[in-house]
Amino acid sequence: MTPNAASPSSGPAGPSRRSFLASTAVATAAVAGGMPLLAACGGSDSGSREGTTSGRAADKLLPAYVAGTLARPDLPSKNGSAAGYTGKVDLAALQTSVPHKLGTGAPFTIMSPFWGSPPKGDCAYYKALDAAAGTKVTWQNQDGNTYGQKLGAVLASSSIPDMVVVPGWELVGKIANAVTAKFMDLGPYLAGDKVKKYPNLAAIPSDAWRMGIFGGALRGIPMPSAAATFIVPYYRKDLFDKKGWSVPTSPDEFLSWAKDATSAKAKVYACGDMSWTAFNIFGVRSSGPLGWTIGSDGKLTYRIEQPEYLEALEWSRKLFDAGVVHPDDKARSGDAGQRFTAGQILVFNNDTSAWYGKTAEQAKANPDFRIEGMDIFGPDGGHPTLYASQPATIWSLIRKGASKTTVENALAAADFAAAPYGTKERMLVDYGVEGTHYTVKGGVPVKTDQGNSEVINAWVMLAAPAPYFAHPDYPDVARKQVEWQQRMGAFMKKTSTYGMNIVEPNRYANLSSQFEQLEIDYVRGNKKLSDVQAAISTWKSSGGEKLRDWYKQLLDKNGSGN
Amino acid sequence: MSLNTQLVRSLRAPARPTWEEPPGKAGLTAKGGLLVLCCLGVLGPLWIVIVTSLSPKPVIDRVGGLVVIPQGITFVNYRELLSGGQVSRAITVSVGVTLAGTLFSMTVSVLAAYGLSRRDSLGHRFLLMAMMATMFFGAGLIPTYLLVQSLGLTDTYLSLILPSAVSVFNILVLRAFFMGISPELTESARIDGASDVRILLTIVLPLSRAVLAVISLFYAVGYWSAWFNASIYLTDQRMMPLQNVLIQLVQKNTEAPTGLQQAVRTGQLSALGLQMAVMVLALVPVAVASPFVQRHFKKGMLTGAVKG
Amino acid sequence: MSLTAGSRPDGTRPPAAVEEPTAAVTTAAAKERMPRRAGRAGKVPWRIRLRRDRALILMTLPVILLLLLFNYIPLLGNVVAFQDYDPYVSSNGVTAIFHSPWVGVQQFSRMLGDPLFWSAAKNTLVLFVLQLVLFFPVPVALALLVNSVVRPRVRAVAQAIMYLPHFFSWVLVVTVFQQIFGGAGIIAQTLENHGWGGFDLMTDASLFKYLVTAQAVWKDAGWGIIVFLAALAAVSTDLYEAAAMDGAGRWRRMWHVTLPALRPVIALLLVLRVGDALSVGFEQFLLQRDAVGAGASEVLDTYVWNMGIQNGDFSYAAAVGLVKGAIGVCLVLGANKFAHLLGEQGVYQK
Repeated sequence: MTPNAASPSSGPAGPSRRSFLASTAVATAAVAGGMPLLAACGGSDSGSREGTTSGRAADKLLPAYVAGTLARPDLPSKNGSAAGYTGKVDLAALQTSVPHKLGTGAPFTIMSPFWGSPPKGDCAYYKALDAAAGTKVTWQNQDGNTYGQKLGAVLASSSIPDMVVVPGWELVGKIANAVTAKFMDLGPYLAGDKVKKYPNLAAIPSDAWRMGIFGGALRGIPMPSAAATFIVPYYRKDLFDKKGWSVPTSPDEFLSWAKDATSAKAKVYACGDMSWTAFNIFGVRSSGPLGWTIGSDGKLTYRIEQPEYLEALEWSRKLFDAGVVHPDDKARSGDAGQRFTAGQILVFNNDTSAWYGKTAEQAKANPDFRIEGMDIFGPDGGHPTLYASQPATIWSLIRKGASKTTVENALAAADFAAAPYGTKERMLVDYGVEGTHYTVKGGVPVKTDQGNSEVINAWVMLAAPAPYFAHPDYPDVARKQVEWQQRMGAFMKKTSTYGMNIVEPNRYANLSSQFEQLEIDYVRGNKKLSDVQAAISTWKSSGGEKLRDWYKQLLDKNGSGN
Repeated sequence: MSLNTQLVRSLRAPARPTWEEPPGKAGLTAKGGLLVLCCLGVLGPLWIVIVTSLSPKPVIDRVGGLVVIPQGITFVNYRELLSGGQVSRAITVSVGVTLAGTLFSMTVSVLAAYGLSRRDSLGHRFLLMAMMATMFFGAGLIPTYLLVQSLGLTDTYLSLILPSAVSVFNILVLRAFFMGISPELTESARIDGASDVRILLTIVLPLSRAVLAVISLFYAVGYWSAWFNASIYLTDQRMMPLQNVLIQLVQKNTEAPTGLQQAVRTGQLSALGLQMAVMVLALVPVAVASPFVQRHFKKGMLTGAVKG
Repeated sequence: MSLTAGSRPDGTRPPAAVEEPTAAVTTAAAKERMPRRAGRAGKVPWRIRLRRDRALILMTLPVILLLLLFNYIPLLGNVVAFQDYDPYVSSNGVTAIFHSPWVGVQQFSRMLGDPLFWSAAKNTLVLFVLQLVLFFPVPVALALLVNSVVRPRVRAVAQAIMYLPHFFSWVLVVTVFQQIFGGAGIIAQTLENHGWGGFDLMTDASLFKYLVTAQAVWKDAGWGIIVFLAALAAVSTDLYEAAAMDGAGRWRRMWHVTLPALRPVIALLLVLRVGDALSVGFEQFLLQRDAVGAGASEVLDTYVWNMGIQNGDFSYAAAVGLVKGAIGVCLVLGANKFAHLLGEQGVYQK
């Protein structure tokens, strides 16, 4: 029932804002000074970019892909969606993906972000996993909200933990380059057929592995994520039905509905901060490398240069101006999710995991509660243009200089954590030990109190199988999640930079850092349109044009063009 | 009104010295009114906080925010907070760090303040300036972290005490107080051959109880409310002091300690109610400790008055 | 009498009224102490002074060592302000200093040309002035108010109540303010029910500076009275009595006895406050940044934080921090000088 239990693939189970950042904020990626290797990233999947010679050379860095043969999803991935398992989990028929313990029991440390309060180092859950994987892990669970500071300080010290989980949104400033400097090339352990020693890692799609190339070498073990958009505008279906509202299908309709639905007196507001959805409606790319693409006119542009960028901000601002956004969302205080479940706001956006999370949490307290995802509409009510998100944004890395034994034990842990759905290993990682951490009621595993306090986001951070949704207790939610992603995925476009792990040169590291705050300020009426326009032209003159040249060169070498 | 009358009556205290003219009615009312207003400014919000922390979730949801008028009382928030294990453990950590840290800080600060309190002593001006300069220059997070780490202090409770053990401001206050102790007392002791340590212990400190109480309080409160060092130097979340746990619970977009979060998620608890309970919990040690400290203030005053 | 005067907690300078008695009982031993100027001029050889003051110097040693270790040594890290520092370029952050390129004063000139820096500097100064005018006098006034209460129990209770808000962390204070003064808060809701909509104090950028000052007063003014109360507690009642005998009324006594007793403390705190003028608060501003926008809420400390820690631009952040520290030292020296001119001792003697 904890958020991470059933969908580890949808990012860290922690705070929704953080997992948002994974895609919307900073991006990531490799190849510090190793331009030729970048060519490797020219994915062949989109068809629009052919692999180059160097691409083939770099493909040698990647582990061989060996598709899993265990439980097949009943809703296969389509349009970049995650896969879905909507049947009941048959606990008696769980399969085995790790037949032999791969760990040797040599101790090693893992530092990982953690949202919540970590269990004891020798708790039953950690012990059970160590026993099953043959590992001996000392966990350094760090508060996920201040993880960036901690990571920055630890990387600058000379004692780096053996294995470190690095979320893409923490790769700000010079940390991106630090990853190359401080973590080892896993090629000797994983490249080509070597990965077959770790079958669950071998079943991770190559797209995701490609994102693990930092500085010309395979360093990161990826947590794969679906390319289809994962930011859902949720609405309260029960309240919509009660009031007889129909779901808005255009920006204008949304605004007039919102005005109608807002009643300050009753303390009911139409929505929270809809900025992320606004970017999707108007077809604005996300920030970082994914924000760059070559348009149909052949010009390479960044997101803030899109005319849609200002249109999206303008619309978000209209919502604030109209007073239909909850004042606490305007002040960015408290948790919008709780205002949503309390009925104080009727629409809010969050990542796909909230669909299950809110359904499960409200089931008892408010049986009428129904959450649904709104289909994203285009600027004039037609089809939207949605951009694909990167196939992996969280990695675990192993420190340079770690001994062979340490590396093999760390990989054993990652392999265990990447066990596919329907296996004993997956069950152990997600739910712990039956009887201790969960009990089975009507064929559905339900966590005990001990399970809730011990089985949290530690092991799930190390690696994951190809993205999927599965909620044995609410199989219908998994179906809706997959179907929504597939419907939205139909409108999905890939940017020229999709699937590449790109590290911008250090000198541009802070070029675009002011825009996130500027967006927050502008939509709330605390900055003028001219301020945004001025920031855009400053961006161009103080390095944006040079960065464009850099990207152009990079994409040229890469043979990209769409 | 009756509250005001009562206050006015209590203000007309027997302790008033004979030479002091009885207060005028207008002045008294104004003074009393002002005092009541100030206290209400604190007690009003505090009332709302307490009521909300004691309100059941449906009430908080219905009101849609803080509860002013109690509609049903429940202790479920407190029970959840204190039974979780983590909050209770964190309280122990905080109390321990506060006691040990205050003792250490007071020892070194009193020594330094006394060492600098003689106007003509060698090098005191230089040392004083060197201390004060640290008030205005910060070293930055990364260098400080690297130092603490290379000293092997990370993941120890010492990292919560040593880097912030010295408050130059507090030393200045102590020093100013020591300098005000009339020099004839210390000088005559010195002529009798008493060492500086002896003078400090037998003459200066007994005369300085008030300021010692105040500065101890400052240090203690500093340790009690500190959270930053812990968030940087501790990797073991289970060593975290209370403030860190509480901030985790309240901070925007943060998941609470898991058990609690679970309760919030499943709709048993209101996040706002929990947060307000946290506020109250952070206040309890202070509410308990402050009468003791205040008594010491009084003792300090009496020392001066009686001997004078 | 002399002892009473002596145990004044402010301690620096007796109120005018007791100047004479203190001077009168000055002993021969005290007279023997070198006049300050003469002492520095070196009439007593430093060797002898060293032997004499050995114990005193030893006593300051623990603090000096702690400051050296935790304040001065890491301070050396500020050389990165003259670099384009990359903490990850070498095996650890310290050796990385030797591997990062030196860029001279480039970071400083970048700072001077950065409108965001100037905006933060302007906000900082405005807030400093506001705090000086609206915050600083409040604890003094409260202390006088509390001190004028004769009944000990009432005084103790009032005092205890006023402390309380100091113990809320800023996260909690901001949450409570949002719930009371926010657009969906208690006040807005009450007004809404009476037909006045649209009240929202928490997202009004133009009122933000007053809002944060009010928050600071609410949180810390009660706590600030402690030092003043301690100073007041040591004023001898004899002084009041003598003044009363001379026919001084309530207000005149406050003017001629109470305030002079507080003057040294006020001067000390004022000098320190001015020296710290560029630190107007941190967490409070960081937490409310999004509500009113960076234009209104960014101050130097949050700017350094955002640049250094959030964006990882350590060199630039160090440069801004250095400038801030240098200005602080200048300000404290100036303020101290000014205090001397007014006849106060300030933080250190002339």
